[in-house]
Amino acid sequence: MFIEIIEIIISGLLNGSVYALMAIGLALVYGVTKAFNFAYGSFYTMGGYFAWILLVSLGVKGGYYVVFLTAIPFLFVVGYFLEKILISPLRKRDDWQMKAMMLTLGLSLFLDIGYIAAFGPNLKSLPDIVEGTLALGPFVFMKQDIVIFILSITGLLCFAWLLNNTRVGMAVQAVAQNPVGAQIVGIPKERVFAATFAISTILVGVGGILLSQKNFVNPQASTGIMIKAWVITAFGGMGSIKGSLYAALIIGMLEAFVGYYLGMIHIEIAVLTLLLITLAFRPQGLMGRE
Amino acid sequence: MLKAINITKKFGALAAVNNLSFEVEDRQIFGIAGPNGAGKSTLYNLITGFYKYEGKIEFDGKNISGLPTHKIARLGISRTFQIPQIFESLTVEESVNIGGRFGSSGKFNTGYSDEMIAFTSLEQERSNKTNLLNLLGKKRLMIAAALATNPKILMVDEPMAGLNAMEIKEMTGLIKSINQDLKITVIIIEHFMKVLTELANPILVIENGKEICTGTPEEITSDPEVIACYLGDSHDT
Repeated sequence: MFIEIIEIIISGLLNGSVYALMAIGLALVYGVTKAFNFAYGSFYTMGGYFAWILLVSLGVKGGYYVVFLTAIPFLFVVGYFLEKILISPLRKRDDWQMKAMMLTLGLSLFLDIGYIAAFGPNLKSLPDIVEGTLALGPFVFMKQDIVIFILSITGLLCFAWLLNNTRVGMAVQAVAQNPVGAQIVGIPKERVFAATFAISTILVGVGGILLSQKNFVNPQASTGIMIKAWVITAFGGMGSIKGSLYAALIIGMLEAFVGYYLGMIHIEIAVLTLLLITLAFRPQGLMGRE
Repeated sequence: MLKAINITKKFGALAAVNNLSFEVEDRQIFGIAGPNGAGKSTLYNLITGFYKYEGKIEFDGKNISGLPTHKIARLGISRTFQIPQIFESLTVEESVNIGGRFGSSGKFNTGYSDEMIAFTSLEQERSNKTNLLNLLGKKRLMIAAALATNPKILMVDEPMAGLNAMEIKEMTGLIKSINQDLKITVIIIEHFMKVLTELANPILVIENGKEICTGTPEEITSDPEVIACYLGDSHDT
């Protein structure tokens, strides 16, 4: 019984850490720009295909080291320029946040259909980042899970460091809190918006690389990921990064417990029930502001 | 130093600023007065590049019309707002440092930000979150962050609004000191005529976006048109 619960908690932590990595990107974009990025899930898939091209199709030497070293700049450039070219012109118009939602929804469909056109409808499998198991007393872990957990936490820590210690991070925080005041002290708002979008693309894309090892690269994965990331940010409080962290952990745990005791089939309904109850009593989410 | 040439801003059919021209000289405290809705704050939004407009604004001989807000800020025009705009989750020190870090093109100088914290008497509160400050504190903070960008011109928008008599005295002293000790040109919008005539010279009076007159405090307070449109209804507020 005791060992069982510890195992469930570990599995919940594992889920929660990757969810956190992915959900904070969505929360970040909403927090800074007040626009919702519906193409978010499609960048998850992009991360998966990027890794597949390098590892399987091209078979590069160096494996996942090369994947991460190249994927991060690649995802940054993709995110930055998509924002500059597609979304930034919308800001000259009224009610641009709504228009940005429409556009990113279109972008998501475009990318998802593009993946099928380019790579076919079949799932692709990625090699495991490490193989084998690790036994610690009564517990047996897959080494892959441990590496995914460590990389997610590292990603989160890097993100926190970036936000609190760099010029870009400071500018992002300032724009999120007060776009008008930020520009007055000389912060280029447009560039911060694009950088925010790019950083969020990296976060979800890296999440895609990590999770596609377990769930395959699936051209239609974006909807599920989008829903999950949205549920977490809405539950945590739209735009609140801290809220998303807690929400990711709670939802990761809930999934692990419900999956174990009630069966996998009840996971989604349990998560959505939690979301609806939370929003009924606290429409702003756990840590969102009204 | 700052020259506006025939600037006009229309919102639909309404001209909020209507063919306005004026010139602010180095080291002046340039006052702007006018009844509510006269277009004073809109004028600030034009100078700082928040809105596009017709006409031209020159700063140090350089045309700044159409430049984005953050570039205008970096050239040396800074402003504060009627309702304090602050970074709520940051501390006083962090907020002022943001001004210092992004506002000027030169290297970030912590020393200068520290001086500005001391200059605006925020030393005691430097590690506090900004949302704990009272109204005067928030106004001082806005000024400190604006000064940390190392501006040549500081534009303040109704700095006295909401302050009591003692606080008004303090704020008046601070604005004088910005002009005299830091040698920064100041533009001030102020509803409170007594303060404006004490601080500013010259004063531009506008109504419905148009200039009524520009002159010394004595000239404008004796101008019949100004008395009729402006002082008549508010000189005792």
